[in-house]
Order: sequence, then structure tokens, then C-alpha cells
Amino acid sequence: MRFFLYALDPGYVLKALPDLWAGLRWTLAVSAIGIAGSLVLGLAGGAVRAARIPIFGGAVGLYVEFFRNTPLLIQVFFLYFALPELHVTLSAFTVAWLALVLWGGAYNVENFRAGFQAVNPGYQEAARALGLSAWATFAAVILPIGLRTAVPSLTNTCISVLKNSSYMIAISFPELTATAINIVSTSFRVFEMFAAIAVIYLGLVWVLSALMAVVERRLALPEGA
Amino acid sequence: MPAWVPPVARYMAVGLETTLLISVATAAAATLLGVILGSLMTLRLRLITVPIRAYVEVWRGLPIIVTLFFIFFMLPAVGINLPAFYAALIGLTLWTSANCAEITRGAVKSIPHGQHMAALALGLSWAQSMRWVVLPQAYRRMLPPLVSLLTNLVQSTALVYIIGILELTRSANVQRERLAILGDSHSLEIYGAVMVVYFLICLPLTRASAHLERRLVV
Repeated sequence: MRFFLYALDPGYVLKALPDLWAGLRWTLAVSAIGIAGSLVLGLAGGAVRAARIPIFGGAVGLYVEFFRNTPLLIQVFFLYFALPELHVTLSAFTVAWLALVLWGGAYNVENFRAGFQAVNPGYQEAARALGLSAWATFAAVILPIGLRTAVPSLTNTCISVLKNSSYMIAISFPELTATAINIVSTSFRVFEMFAAIAVIYLGLVWVLSALMAVVERRLALPEGA
Repeated sequence: MPAWVPPVARYMAVGLETTLLISVATAAAATLLGVILGSLMTLRLRLITVPIRAYVEVWRGLPIIVTLFFIFFMLPAVGINLPAFYAALIGLTLWTSANCAEITRGAVKSIPHGQHMAALALGLSWAQSMRWVVLPQAYRRMLPPLVSLLTNLVQSTALVYIIGILELTRSANVQRERLAILGDSHSLEIYGAVMVVYFLICLPLTRASAHLERRLVV
């Protein structure tokens, strides 16, 4: 098959499959840690922000502003190239997941905070009037309701974390994109390789959004709550 | 000021200019394209909406790095020889316009359909109704997510360093490597400065988006 000056060789994808699989495993590992870590970080930070705890709330706010207003790529470079000057040397793998956790965490803090603050203040007052402690009010009232509100925006951030694992090509971490680019630059099989990783990435994104849609439906509040 | 700073700063200032040029050019092209595609997506005509939906899903779903590399390698492979700068513009425009189309579609859908019907009844064409009746009303709703998309775009321009464009990020890398040969790479100061520059560009945009959103609610 030819178009313009290019002869397509679909069979090449099969030959490259073992290499792509190795790259995909790194992508999945780093994304899984990144997503899990950013959710934990976001939950803790979002709770601190929503509760307006003095000093801690402000510190979390600074963290969020800083990580949301600087490019993830520079954050990666900073962790990988600048931290060794402070005698903290991290491996490419550590930088990969850590950068995703910190970056995704900043977005998830805002997602959780917005969810918690959307909870009707009357519920909180009612819980406190019934004698629940501040902690019990959060765990039994604000978290279950606020989490549901936050799910759609959390989904978006999780998908971004997955896609942004491709940034790690910048520190030569052998994830999926880096693997594919390496193959392209030695074989020039541009269309075959990009078709393959496009299918993989789009597939992953769709699977992840389908999963989150199931979560969202399962958690959906009854009308009027 | 240490002696190593002035040449580095001059070099990176040129990189910053390129970053700003790419941001502005992409923002303009992608907003125009995205508003047109997003408006067309509200048509009830499968022949038009299905291809646009595919465009949006693909370029929104792919990591920007993958898109940039694809355009960069694909153009010469099919015999089109353009400087990498244009590959960068095309790649970023695909991603930004797909997102802008989705924003536009949502905003246009939020305008009561009667507005469009009334415009048609007054003899306006579909395009005229969009241009003079629907989009001016949808615009208020589009602005907050659009500004936040542009913030995202400015940050994403850092990625074009990877196909060899000498913008702010690449200029920082070049200087870090040059200084490393001389002994001390000053990575901490250089990347710190780059972060501050991006921060100063992005913070006002983030704040503007939040402000516009609050105004919309009231």
C-alpha cells in the first residue's frame, strides 16, 4: 500500500510488539502509581483546604498554585537535573512517578476541595449539632457526598496523568512513547508505529473513562440529595 | 550578579520570545478552527458531525508529545519538507482546536434553541445566526474554560523542545549543558528561573479564568 512517497508495512507492528509491550508496562506502572498517589495527595490536601485549617491550608494553596502554573516538563527537569545539586539524586523511574503524583495531586486537591465545598453546609451543621466530632463529620458526611461531586473532574485529571506519563521520554525513561520513537528513528516506520501507539493510548484513555463512568453511576446520589 | 548570568539570560530571552510567538500563533489559529468545528458539531447532520467528533476524540485523546512527534516525522515521510517550527504549530493547533471545539459545542448547546430558530425565521442563514445571534451569547460561557485552555497551551509549548524548537525550555537545557562542561551546570538556578517565568505568565491567566467563572455564576 502506498500513499505519496510512503509504502505502508502493517506487518512491521507485529515485529515491534514485544518492544512496545515492554514500554507499555512501564507506562502502566508509572501511571498507576501516579494516579493512586495523586488521588491520596488530592484527598488529603482537598480536605485541609476545604476545612480552612490555618497555615496548613495556606501551604497547600501555595503548592497547588505553584504546580498548576508551571509546566510539568520543567517540574520533571527540575527533579531530574536540579535536585542532584542539592545532593538528592533520583532515578528516572522515581522522577517519573513522583512528578506525576505531585502534578496530578495539585489538580486533585482542587477537584476534591470543590467537591467538599459543594456539600450543603446545612448537612455539616446538622452533623455537628448531633454531636459528631469534626473528624466524624468529615468521614461520615462531607467525604461521601463531596466525593461523588468530584468524580467527573477527578476522572479528567486521572486521564491527564496517564497521558502525561509520555513526558518521561524527556528523561529517557523507556515508557511507551519513548519506545515507539526509538523504533521510528531507527526504522522510519512512522505510520505503523504511530498507528500502534495511538490505538494503545486512545484505548487506555477510553477504558479509563469507561471505568470512571461506572464508578460515577454506582456512586450517583439519589435525586434531590 | 555572577558572571555566568548575563549571557544565559540573553540566550533564554530569545527562547522566551519563541515560546510567546508559538503560544500566540497557536492560540489564534486553534481558537478560530475550534469555534468553527464546535459550531458545526451542533448541526444535526451526521455527515458533518461524525468526522468532527472523530477529530476531537483523537487529538484530545492522544498525548501532545505523540501528536508532535507524529507530525514531525510524518510530514517528511510523505514528502512535505517544512521547518520543525511548523510541525510544532500544527501539532499544538490540533490539540488546542480539538479542546476548543468541545468547549464551543457545550456553550452553543447551552443557548436555547429558540434563539437559533428565531434567527432563521428572520431570514438569517445558519452561519449568520451562529455569527450574530448564538455565538455572542455562548461567548460568555466559553470564556472561562477557554482561558484555562490557553494557560494549558502556554505550558504545553514547553513540549515542542523535543522536536528541536529553541524555545524557553530548550534554551534552558542548552545553557545547562554548556555550563556543565565549564564545571557547574547551575541547574537549580536555571530551572528555577524558567519556572518563575512560566508562573508569571500562567498565574494571571488562571486567576482571570477563575474570576470570569465566578462572574458567570452570579
